[in-house]
Amino acid sequence: MRKIIDSAIETIIFICGMLSIVFVVLIFGFLFKEGFSFFRNFGILKFVTGHFWYAASDPASFGILPLILGSTLVTIGACTIAVPIGVMSALFISEIAPKGIRDVLKSLIELMAAIPSVVIGLIGVITLVPFVKNIFNLPTGLTAFSGSIMLAFMAIPTIITISEDAIRSVPWKYREGALALGATKWQTVRRVVLKAAMPGIIAATMLGIGRVIGETMAVMMITGNAAHIPHSIFDPVRTMTATIAAEMGEAVRGGMHYRSLFAIAFVLFAITFIVNFMADLFLGKNKNI
Amino acid sequence: MVNKIEVRDLNCYYNKRCVLESLTINVIQNEILSIIGPANSGKTTFLRTLNRMNDLDATYCRKGEIYLDGEHIFNMNMENLRKRISMLFAMPIPLPMTIYENIVYAPKRLGLITRKSDQDAIVEQALRDASLWDEVKDRLNTSAMKISGGQQQRLCIARILAVNPEVILFDEPCSGLDPISTAKVEESMIELKEKYTIVLVTNNVKQASRVGDKTAFFLMGKLVEIDETDKLFVSPKEKQTENYITGRFG
Amino acid sequence: MIKLSPKLSQKFSYALLYIATLLAIVPVITIIFIIVKNGISAISLEFLTSMPKNGMREGGILPAILGTFSIVLCAITIILPVGVCAAIYLNEYAKDNFLTKIIKLSIVNLAGIPSVVYGLFGLGIFVMFFKLGVSIIAGALTLSIMELPVVITTARGALNSVPYSFREASWSLGVSRWQTIRHVVLPNALPGILTGTILTVARISGETAPILFTAAAFYVPHLPHSIFDQVMAMPYHLYIISTQIPNMPKNIIYGTALVLLMVVLTMSCIAMIARIYFKKRRKW
Repeated sequence: MRKIIDSAIETIIFICGMLSIVFVVLIFGFLFKEGFSFFRNFGILKFVTGHFWYAASDPASFGILPLILGSTLVTIGACTIAVPIGVMSALFISEIAPKGIRDVLKSLIELMAAIPSVVIGLIGVITLVPFVKNIFNLPTGLTAFSGSIMLAFMAIPTIITISEDAIRSVPWKYREGALALGATKWQTVRRVVLKAAMPGIIAATMLGIGRVIGETMAVMMITGNAAHIPHSIFDPVRTMTATIAAEMGEAVRGGMHYRSLFAIAFVLFAITFIVNFMADLFLGKNKNI
Repeated sequence: MVNKIEVRDLNCYYNKRCVLESLTINVIQNEILSIIGPANSGKTTFLRTLNRMNDLDATYCRKGEIYLDGEHIFNMNMENLRKRISMLFAMPIPLPMTIYENIVYAPKRLGLITRKSDQDAIVEQALRDASLWDEVKDRLNTSAMKISGGQQQRLCIARILAVNPEVILFDEPCSGLDPISTAKVEESMIELKEKYTIVLVTNNVKQASRVGDKTAFFLMGKLVEIDETDKLFVSPKEKQTENYITGRFG
Repeated sequence: MIKLSPKLSQKFSYALLYIATLLAIVPVITIIFIIVKNGISAISLEFLTSMPKNGMREGGILPAILGTFSIVLCAITIILPVGVCAAIYLNEYAKDNFLTKIIKLSIVNLAGIPSVVYGLFGLGIFVMFFKLGVSIIAGALTLSIMELPVVITTARGALNSVPYSFREASWSLGVSRWQTIRHVVLPNALPGILTGTILTVARISGETAPILFTAAAFYVPHLPHSIFDQVMAMPYHLYIISTQIPNMPKNIIYGTALVLLMVVLTMSCIAMIARIYFKKRRKW
């Protein structure tokens, strides 16, 4: 009797272990099915390179180039801010800060990661948007620039945590070797530690990018949601995620517009798959030093 | 003189590298077989093969036959085999629970305790047989992590005795212990052979000479010599054995 | 360019790192401070326990609180057993083979999928295909799939922190693998799993995009009755009142944000304290 129960439980455990694969396949299949029927009707090239996203008008135009550029612009902007700050903070936390301060900082970063994106969006709308509008003398503060700043805050905890792990996993003997040769602590950190931790830092950047591309609520609230090709970072933009979130409610179930949103989701899925896969490769590399 | 365990032409590999080569050896019932030899001579691999502790290691594979009372152990159910051939590790590994729970843990899981009232008796008997009872009888409910290393090792022996196996494997059981604790563990080993068959792997040549009925000398994955302990230590047949036991290498 | 002496360059660089850390930390404190300062005046017993009135411009946020609570409760009951079982499989049973590599890749991939894509998937599968409608259960299922990789990863960490020797000691006595997991590994991994669970609760409470099309409603005039009800949820409610309703009184927006933030931050703090506490009490 006991053996039967044991093997029943082990079967359940095995099934749960397989579920992750099932879900990925399911999500992929589902997005592919809906997206593919859209591509067949509309044409994949026209979809990716079309300059105009007029989903609700008649005749509708489903060109996601402005959306892709919007996502890209915000992502680049956010990473330009988040990567240097994140990596430098990680260096500070792991190499310089005394233990007590390090624990406090790490707790704060954990709290930062926990703040819901709607709250970040709200703060952005209330404080940052008017500020950007006034200081750069723009018609509106709802721009890719404001979005980048807020999204940078959301990527920073990811980047810090992963980089810090990578930096701390650099073996002590590397540092001792450099210090013994008379290098200052900073020279050691810059020339030895940073170099050894590089794969992990790249992975952290990748994961930060993944987080920014996928972010929805804050971006929808701050970037102005104008679906045209942006000319500068001070233009309002609309990202792929925000398009899905904003338009799904009004799209007719099963219609062309509805399926076009699944097609966007499919593009997002593909992008994040590649980004995360690469991050994982770099993380694997880091473990082998 | 009954053969408890018969090993026929056993070969073991890690990552395709041979660590035990065509080993044929018998273990006689109610005797202590000590296995000596320098590091990396395959002693521990042999022990872990006997109760199939290595089976989960993906880099490990083996060829050959081992019989327990004439039954092929590689065909036996793993749990049943380990219930009959238990193992004591080099470092004491008490489970993170009380002394009492440590003893009743395995009998409970194996369904050996039918009535709750038997529990206390089993605990007392096991602790007495491992000569630990007098030291811990007043604090059976303290954590097993809090007693000394020597006591922990004897607790681990008691834990094995509570399952009532047929063979006990000792894997360098005294390597982490001080001389007094070592003496106590050795004492209980000699008492235990009345009821059990014992295989002892040790780095300590003197220990083998003190407790072993038979002693085997392993070198580089091969059995060099096996004989009555008295004979092996007084007049070894092989030069390598003599060099090792007289401390010329190892 | 002037070449700085190593000492000076070290001082200069340290200052830079220090500033970067400040730049990372100060916004968190500022955000929390702004929300608390402006929101505290709106918080009252009435705000927490009454229905919204006058197009949500007055009254309280009780249905949103209860809605979020029921979604979180539902999601955690689904995800905890599944996630822990999956972690047990990976940590205790899985061999180092191709299948395991695929599982790990799937987990990495699941973790990276944007939350809004999960929302879309939940809409297609649970709301429409399984005809659950926009409901607590559809939202909870969507959130469960989304949080699965995180739960698996934290639970695996907890299982992995239990020394391998405990398992060997148990096996060597003839105890089976599952019995060893059940009676030795799980009890000792429990603190870690518990802390992970609290953090998951915190994250689920703040998620908006996955429940956008699967569970959340603009306004529901009654409290949730069953898991097939549409509900209001705090993050979605906050989104609505801060962007969709004109002339929304600021203090209600801040008050709602404060309640949401407090729920999430309290959970995170509890998890952090629990982690320190369990670490100190660890027996091995």
